[in-house]
Amino acid sequence: MTAPENRVIPASNFTRFLEAIMAEQPVIGPRERPDQPGFYRFGRLARAEDFAPDYGTTTVPPKKTFAALREKLFSFTLDSPPELDLHFDSSPFVLLGIHPCDLSGIDALDHAYSQPPAEVRWTANRRRASLIGLDCRPDSYCFCTQVGTESNRNPCDLFLTPMEDGYLVEVHSDAGAALLEKADTRKAGEEDEAAAEQWRREKAAGIVPEFDAPVEKIADILEVGGLTPVWKETADRCYSCGSCNTTCPTCFCFDMVDDIEPDLSGGARYRTWDSCQLLDFALVASGHNFRGERWQRVRHRWQRKFLYLYRQFDRPYCTGCGRCSRACTADINLVDVANRLIAAAQKEA
Amino acid sequence: MAEPAKNQAVDRTRIFYVPERARVMTTRQEPSATFVELGFEDGRPLNHHPGQFVQVSVFGYGEAPISVCSSPTRPESFALCVQSMGNVSRAIADLTPGDWVGIRGPYGRGCFPIDRMKNKDVLLIAGGIGMAPLRGLIQFICDNRDDYGRFMVVYGAKTPSDILFREETEQWTENPDLDFYRTVDEPDDEWEGRTGVVTEPLKEIDIDPENTIAAACGPPVMFRFIAMDLLKKKLPEERIYFSLERRFKCGIGKCGHCQLNDLYVCQDGPVFRYADLLKRTEAGEVWAPEKDQDTA
Repeated sequence: MTAPENRVIPASNFTRFLEAIMAEQPVIGPRERPDQPGFYRFGRLARAEDFAPDYGTTTVPPKKTFAALREKLFSFTLDSPPELDLHFDSSPFVLLGIHPCDLSGIDALDHAYSQPPAEVRWTANRRRASLIGLDCRPDSYCFCTQVGTESNRNPCDLFLTPMEDGYLVEVHSDAGAALLEKADTRKAGEEDEAAAEQWRREKAAGIVPEFDAPVEKIADILEVGGLTPVWKETADRCYSCGSCNTTCPTCFCFDMVDDIEPDLSGGARYRTWDSCQLLDFALVASGHNFRGERWQRVRHRWQRKFLYLYRQFDRPYCTGCGRCSRACTADINLVDVANRLIAAAQKEA
Repeated sequence: MAEPAKNQAVDRTRIFYVPERARVMTTRQEPSATFVELGFEDGRPLNHHPGQFVQVSVFGYGEAPISVCSSPTRPESFALCVQSMGNVSRAIADLTPGDWVGIRGPYGRGCFPIDRMKNKDVLLIAGGIGMAPLRGLIQFICDNRDDYGRFMVVYGAKTPSDILFREETEQWTENPDLDFYRTVDEPDDEWEGRTGVVTEPLKEIDIDPENTIAAACGPPVMFRFIAMDLLKKKLPEERIYFSLERRFKCGIGKCGHCQLNDLYVCQDGPVFRYADLLKRTEAGEVWAPEKDQDTA
């Protein structure tokens, strides 16, 4: 499609726009947790007013919409022969209010999961959804500018930049254009564009943490190695709790488990998130653990995010969202570790 | 013809995680393992390559990756040889004829190099349960004997009662198609064969290093010593193959459990060239223990 002009949707119209979408399909967006005021999570909006556009960063990234923490793959009976029943929902929905870093996380998993043979649950769930992005204000953990995701728009159908009264709307796909037809909008003028540009400038200026070397250098540093002291000192603090994996928008490892009905009539197989930081992640049947040392698991996470997947997909598997640092039970900060690695490499050289 | 047409209508890519039903045809208790012969409902062959594995579901217990121990040249059924190690393998070992399991696969793009081995001498080394995947290859080469040069198989078991495929291996001893060396680490009073670890008979074998391909499967601790012996025989690193064990959950390089540096063992292997493993620090099996693991 040709790049369409940007539109502006006033705040009052935006609520009506949401209501019009919600009349046709579910809308999943950031909403305040009733049990924890001040904390937000992606969930189905019951009313347009549930949308919390000023949310900071959710604890769990929106990847859960396409690959649930625990997802039923199929059910089975314990008859002879067993009967298998496939579970697959194909109804459409809208995912609203995704920050540029989280769009980048979805993009990362699009790449990883679509490698042939594709991970079918993710790819099929992705086809169900229209994505509406939303620009944000950083907190002290955010470092999107360091990985180049601060103005990421991929993959979204529409993108909203907050303005004094409403949003500037960028249209990024035909599906987005079709969705926007439900809204009462006006053409964006120069002033509107300037206001959005101002928002982006202030956002970038608000980023505090900095890598001491460009992110592409981290791959080289990891490849050369000689970083064992940094891995070990980081591992000395790490509890191997897996919070960094669970909250990471680009982590995609999983496990598969069976559950049985209490009456033993049958059961189901589930796909659940897993964590490479947990002790038994690389354990094999013979009892050998290929990453039995904690520092090996810490290193593995870094090599995966900043070396292997970086080389495979030409982008870091880090979105700069800062969730791992926010969630870390031992207060290990990703940017801090990155800078220790960079310092160690410079010392070597 | 109505039934097959209906089957074809099912989009298999959409139901990737859903296994196909297969039935247990025969089982046999080996002293330290269980042999299970399986067939698909519709009688179709598994169509695997030697070295590939399948994901076996025992519903209610879960799924486990098991290498296929039969040859595609004998397509009426396919077979597994399982040691009871975990929840699922114990359930597989408890199967009886007529029971149903689920099968996904075969998986693994890295198989034993049956084409590259053509017209070459082939040396196979099996340690313990590592005999299971190699048995499929041994059968394959025996069934295509004219395509291959000298054929040598070394098999080491812990004790005489740990020897898998006892009858079949006795036959291999007599079989002029292959030079078969069988050894045990811990002999009992009745044992009259060779004694010692698997590398002992290996030392005796003269190979033509210009014209030999070697493949090995066994416990991780074995690989390093086999590699050392083969290198002493001047066999180049790129003609030595190892079949690795990792925890495969998905089988298609997505779940992350089997990652070895930048490789997914399930998809890029499970059979790898030694030359490729040497570039990977996490291939702990082939590295000397003192080797610094901290380079990528």
